[in-house]
Amino acid sequence: MSTAEQDGGTGGGPTVRRMLLGAQLRRLREDKGVSREDAGWAIRASESKISRMELGRVGFKDRDVADLLTLYGVADADERAALLTLAREANKPGWWHPYGDLLPNWLQYYLDLEAAAALIRNYEIQFVPGLLQTDAYARAVILLGYGGAGNEEIDRRVGLRMARKQLLTRPDPPQLWAVMDEAVLRRPIGGLEVMRAQIEALEEARSLPNVRLQVIPFRAGGHAAAGGAFSILRFPDQDLPDVVYIEHLTSALYLDRRDDVDRYAEAVGRLFIEAEPLTRTQEILRSALHELDAA
Amino acid sequence: MDSKGAHVTESSTASATGGQQEAPMLDTNVPQTARIWNYWLGGKDNFAVDRAVGAQVREAFPEIVDMARASRAFLVRAVSYLAGEAGIRQFLDIGTGLPTADNTHEVAQRVAPESRVVYVDFDPLVLVHARALLTSSPEGVTNYVDADLRDTDKILQAAASTLDLTQPTTLMLLGILGHLADDDEAQSIVKRLVGALPSGSHLVISDGTNTSKQVVEAARIWNQSANPTYHLRSPEQIARFFDGLELLDPGVVSQPRWRPDPSSAGLPTDVEGRCGVGRKP
Repeated sequence: MSTAEQDGGTGGGPTVRRMLLGAQLRRLREDKGVSREDAGWAIRASESKISRMELGRVGFKDRDVADLLTLYGVADADERAALLTLAREANKPGWWHPYGDLLPNWLQYYLDLEAAAALIRNYEIQFVPGLLQTDAYARAVILLGYGGAGNEEIDRRVGLRMARKQLLTRPDPPQLWAVMDEAVLRRPIGGLEVMRAQIEALEEARSLPNVRLQVIPFRAGGHAAAGGAFSILRFPDQDLPDVVYIEHLTSALYLDRRDDVDRYAEAVGRLFIEAEPLTRTQEILRSALHELDAA
Repeated sequence: MDSKGAHVTESSTASATGGQQEAPMLDTNVPQTARIWNYWLGGKDNFAVDRAVGAQVREAFPEIVDMARASRAFLVRAVSYLAGEAGIRQFLDIGTGLPTADNTHEVAQRVAPESRVVYVDFDPLVLVHARALLTSSPEGVTNYVDADLRDTDKILQAAASTLDLTQPTTLMLLGILGHLADDDEAQSIVKRLVGALPSGSHLVISDGTNTSKQVVEAARIWNQSANPTYHLRSPEQIARFFDGLELLDPGVVSQPRWRPDPSSAGLPTDVEGRCGVGRKP
């Protein structure tokens, strides 16, 4: 278990490049039979610093990476250059940089992971999945959390959420498998008009080839009620573990230990199985619209 | 109908059994075959119990990983031939497993985009992944059926909503007949399925064989915990599934020897299994 808040001060560069470089450094160290402690000694750092580097949780200094490569017996100039370039790129800011002042580190970290994901499995109990929200619905959700902020800040926060959505329609987009509680469709966040347009947007989103959307009806018991919203991200690189993301009000929890991830993978698997089948989603969205109109 | 619905249909049989009471459960306490294969192939859609038995089997029989890869590679070569030279446009793939690279419809539709593919499996996690990932080319169709191999009537009935079973069809049984312990039962299931298909249809089979001590030990370990159990056959027993069919060259052989890719360097290394393709006269 780890919270990304521990990583404060890293500047939050592209997390996935750090994770990739970290995974490679770990493999090199293990191949050479070097302990974390000895590796730490070589770069004047602690064992836990090595551990954090290998998990991609901290930025890299050129000199540290160069010293570790020497310790691990990487002499080939091209191989060294490739890894050092990766270290430099890993310190560059992410796409969200213009919004950086609005984003706590834990959210910057998520935006990096999300942008690099190949598959996003998402369970939502209150809100429409962020990647499928309309401008007006997103504004209503953001006002719930930042009601005291000025108009300009609210606009930028909405802008950021809309910018995130572009990943679903970019070339080679990730898969989004979302399962929502029926409550999401019943609670008219932002008012009837906003909700109506949001449900229509969901109808449109479900025709994207990379989006699958299912609804858990109220009558389904058990697992649907067992926990809160979460996402599981999978990356194209097989070396990177799946990551579970659970957002709290002022921080977030990232889980990447295999037994933790298993529990959430099992939960989301059950939710997909117990939800109404994909073929029913359209009908459910239609009937939610009718009920809104009748209200 | 939107573009997705037009090409990805779900059989009425599958959704008819999708009610809350009848929905099959995701069981993470018993190792499941599709998830163990996923583990051997380097996937992440497996749980601790699957990894435990998968690792035990691999310890007794390290070649299991080569075998898993060789079976997938055979699938690619066989389906490429059938959709290409043989001109078959319909595929009934029973025992789909968790999606990996080069799934049946991707291979077939790469050659012939209009190919129609029905996947059959009874593992609920396989169906979750299949419905999301095994999406068809715009010209073709993919469909999924939740059924047990033994339930041939249900399979044929559900497949008929997507495939025209009066036209030549490829029946694919890869790594699944071993889950039937009884040889007579396995033979009769193959006969029933092939019997429902017209002349010019093809049968594709691949399974493990009892040809080394290590593989027999691996199967013993598997059968202590995994679901369903797996029963190795002799090469002769596997060949007998093709009785009454015209066996295509090179016959029933170890998976890497079935029409190896000429560009692959060196001689193929045998694995403890047999595969073949037969044509119904």
